Amino acid sequence: MFKHLFKMIWNKKKQNSLLIVEILLSFLVIFAVFSFALNSYNNYAKPMGFNYNHVWAISYNHTLETNNPDSVTLVYQNLLRDIKSMPLVVDAGYASSNIPFSNNHMSTGLTSNGIEVHNVNNFFMDENYLDVMGAKMLAGRWYNKADRASTTKILVINKMLKEKVFGKAEAVGKTFGDKAEDKRKIIGVIDDIKTDGDYQSPTYGLYNLQDTAAYKWMGKILVKVAPQADAAFEGKLYKLMAGRLKKSNIEIEHLDNKLVAYNKFTLVPLIILSIVAAFLIINVALGIFGVLWYNINKRRGEIGLRRAVGAPGSSVSAQLVSEAIILATLSLIIGAFFAIQFPLLNVFDLPAGVYLVAMLLAVIFIYLLVLICSLYPGKQASAILPAVALHEE
Amino acid sequence: MLKNYFKIAIAVLMRRKFFTFLSLFGISFTITILMVMTAFIDKVVNDNYPDKKRDRSLYISRMELRGKESMNSSGLSYYYIDHYISKMKTPVKVAISSGFGSTNTYVNNRKIVINYKYANAAFWEVLDFDFIEGKPFSKQQEDNAERVTVISEDMKKEYFGDDDTPAVGKYIEADDIKYRVCGVVKSLPITSYLLYADIFLPITTSKTRLDADKGYMGNYNAIVLAKTSADVPKMKKEYDGIVAKLPIPGKEWDHLYSHADSYIEGYVRTGNETRSGMVYAITAITLFALFIMLLPTLNLVNVNITRIMERSSEIGVRKAFGASSKTLVYQFLVENLILTFLGGTIGVVLSLVVMYFINQARLIANLNLGLNFTVLGYTILTCIIFGLLSGVYPAWRMSKLNVVTALKA
Repeated sequence: MFKHLFKMIWNKKKQNSLLIVEILLSFLVIFAVFSFALNSYNNYAKPMGFNYNHVWAISYNHTLETNNPDSVTLVYQNLLRDIKSMPLVVDAGYASSNIPFSNNHMSTGLTSNGIEVHNVNNFFMDENYLDVMGAKMLAGRWYNKADRASTTKILVINKMLKEKVFGKAEAVGKTFGDKAEDKRKIIGVIDDIKTDGDYQSPTYGLYNLQDTAAYKWMGKILVKVAPQADAAFEGKLYKLMAGRLKKSNIEIEHLDNKLVAYNKFTLVPLIILSIVAAFLIINVALGIFGVLWYNINKRRGEIGLRRAVGAPGSSVSAQLVSEAIILATLSLIIGAFFAIQFPLLNVFDLPAGVYLVAMLLAVIFIYLLVLICSLYPGKQASAILPAVALHEE
Repeated sequence: MLKNYFKIAIAVLMRRKFFTFLSLFGISFTITILMVMTAFIDKVVNDNYPDKKRDRSLYISRMELRGKESMNSSGLSYYYIDHYISKMKTPVKVAISSGFGSTNTYVNNRKIVINYKYANAAFWEVLDFDFIEGKPFSKQQEDNAERVTVISEDMKKEYFGDDDTPAVGKYIEADDIKYRVCGVVKSLPITSYLLYADIFLPITTSKTRLDADKGYMGNYNAIVLAKTSADVPKMKKEYDGIVAKLPIPGKEWDHLYSHADSYIEGYVRTGNETRSGMVYAITAITLFALFIMLLPTLNLVNVNITRIMERSSEIGVRKAFGASSKTLVYQFLVENLILTFLGGTIGVVLSLVVMYFINQARLIANLNLGLNFTVLGYTILTCIIFGLLSGVYPAWRMSKLNVVTALKA
């Protein structure tokens, strides 16, 4: 049976080769869209790791005239104290400019436990950060005020980095960093925070306690406000900032708005890709439809003969449908060969599971498409009356 | 002759409506996607508001330092522009402006986000902004560090409300300082990121002292204007000479790059010397266009072959009466081109609809996509490529048909 079908396809290889290429291309496009979408969905399903609602980020730049480090420290500490004492402020603290959703990254590479890790986000902040962000500690503790005065070098890392370096083992209390100058004792492990928006996976993170010299370049104050804080209150906060740092440019942003803007980096390409893919799929569907239609009209004699010899209508349509399915299988074998390279070569650093599931979905999708497009022409074929068809011949 | 071909083509199109629909759908949608893309690129790259003097301007906006371990790429410092670029001999004018920064202002308990940009007085002479009201600030106002500002039309609406009273003479508060509005200009889309801002402030009112930083890197860029477009290569050369002689500012670096670019080169410069933005952009666009065109073309080829085989008796008769293969191929190509152009026309209509919706939705403020001769020209070119691509192979197949078999069918 199959041998016979293959023979039929082989006899019309010229016409079928075009269809095979078309199905192959659309498979690859759908594979790409599914991989992208699945990966985004996987990341979306992970928890954010912190609460960005009612968190505002104030940007400032260091423009104080004085160069005396003590007076600089005093200005910034007084400023933070006054912000915290405002009526609607829950908590506030300094942070380096790579705050969540800011499209600003400070990354570094390091070796610890003999394991090399690249693209580690380097965050600097003060002891208020954890409460302002509403982040969770998984083990150990977060920094406190006393840590600033202590001379031992300490560090907080995130879950991903801990798993990469220590695996399942306990990390708190161990030393991090292989080079003598980076050796620091881990005091806590913080839950992963998705700093790049809903659709991007969190990355390795080092959380460093800032020293007093860092005020000059930190550039951000994160403020957790009460839900009833409105534009009027924001105006007051702005005036306070502008009054204290007279020569600085001040901007206040809301993290939830920043998130919406940042998500567009993922959503816009996905939407464009989907539109293009949809257009290509419609094209392929119509193409398959057209070719099968033509086949039936051309093979009326053959079909009439089969019916006359006693084949039921269902087997005629089954033949046409299975021919189309075999064509699709041929293209999918070639397509799968290309697609399997992605997880094997680890292109784009996506997890292999995403690629495999996307491949499976794409295969199912193509089969469904071919099935739907061949059912109607198949039905048409089974309706051919042997007498009429043979008379035409 | 052509009239006949036309008649035949139309007759064939009417014969099998499903196939006709198939071809036209593929063509028109492909053309639509490509046209919207072209219109977008054309708008971003070729729309010369406000820099109408592009042909004699060069844009100097970045500097890159490279060492073995590290690289640093950013805008230029005011000090550097003032010291090296303003001293160049070829340019007649040098426009200096900062990148845009954001700040807020609060008007009657409403928050407004303001993107501000510092510019010098020459900025207004090098660029041709459309002033709806008032005029730019002068050199004298710049020298006196007067707190005046030129605002965009959108900012006027947002800050002062929708009424038509002139904004000139009113005060606008930004970064906790009040500035007097001296002019209102037509708004720019954010895609012209080198020139975009909501309010333009005199460079001397900048909160950080202009000469505070003696390094090369900073947040400013320059546009140098030559006397005539013939002087542009000379200007480029002069700047390259200056850059070649610059002392490298530290041990960690061994190379220093900075270029005076034409508008497009500057627009796509990645800030990374090893990756040319131009090559990058063109490759990406070409690949995308080819990919979009590939499937519909295959489809068309498929449909065309089936259609030709249906007409084998017609071809057989013509051949038997002495028509050469060449004539037949020619006829078929013309027919196919007619079909593609029909699809192209539908595509143009469709893309007008799509552009209308994009403009209505204000996906990017002030970016109004439109049809112009450039876009149309590209579309016609695409149509021809499309028609030939999908016509050649079937036509070749047809010309090889044997007369006897063709007649028998």
